Amino acid sequence: MTAQMFFIGFFGLAGVWFGIVVFRTFSMVRSALALLFSQTALGAMFLSMQAEFLGVLQIMMMATEMSIMAIFMVMFMMDPGGLGEMDMTHQKRLSLGAGIVSFMAAVAVAVFVDWGPLASVSPDAAQQTIDLGLELLGRSMLIFETAGITILTAMIAATAVAIQPVKRTREQ
Amino acid sequence: MSIELLLALITGAALFGVGIYGALSQTNLVMIMMGIELILAGAMVNLVAFWRYLHPDNPAGQMFVLIIMTVMAIEMAVGFGVAIARFRAKGSVEMEEAAELKG
Repeated sequence: MTAQMFFIGFFGLAGVWFGIVVFRTFSMVRSALALLFSQTALGAMFLSMQAEFLGVLQIMMMATEMSIMAIFMVMFMMDPGGLGEMDMTHQKRLSLGAGIVSFMAAVAVAVFVDWGPLASVSPDAAQQTIDLGLELLGRSMLIFETAGITILTAMIAATAVAIQPVKRTREQ
Repeated sequence: MSIELLLALITGAALFGVGIYGALSQTNLVMIMMGIELILAGAMVNLVAFWRYLHPDNPAGQMFVLIIMTVMAIEMAVGFGVAIARFRAKGSVEMEEAAELKG
């Protein structure tokens, strides 16, 4: 067993375990923190797979995103501390069945498909970043720009939806 | 088949399954969004594994991961916007109380 294999397995297992904890705890703050740990473990897994740029980006982005999510959880949940142990689930059996079936289907595809020849080496971190930069500003520029515009549109739309409507009188 | 690729794909499949369970079983809008985040994280793990073990010389694989991250950010932004509007209007983001949204 190589070190890379060990770390991919370890961080993958940690990511999945914390993902399960998200839906097992009654405390919403713990849920948000579990999701943060899950995404951070995946970032570490990316680093183990020698995708340095994506690994660091994942950890930085998810740390911010999940911190914001934790604030929203406290704002919106009826019992953010989980002290009342409220059950906030429905159609549990159907959901569990759907989750297991999709997991099994994805594993079957992973195991039975012939993925072809595997690459043993990848470019070093600096070369990866250069290649990605050239890709984003070359062949994939339209896709990347579309993503940027979509984020801007989503930000404006989210603000417009969330803003409190002001009732104006005729004098105003 | 490399064990590393298999481990990564199984991790992606497990995250996808857990995310499906969460998105379908939770009644709170924010928790449903957490399930969707896990589904997207599963897709992201697969994309990184495919890039690393099948086509490490092609950076387009990494670019797709950036697109998934964009989708995650958009989902968060729009989801929280909707959550704030819903909370302001009804005082709750419980989806069982949102039957009027049914088409």
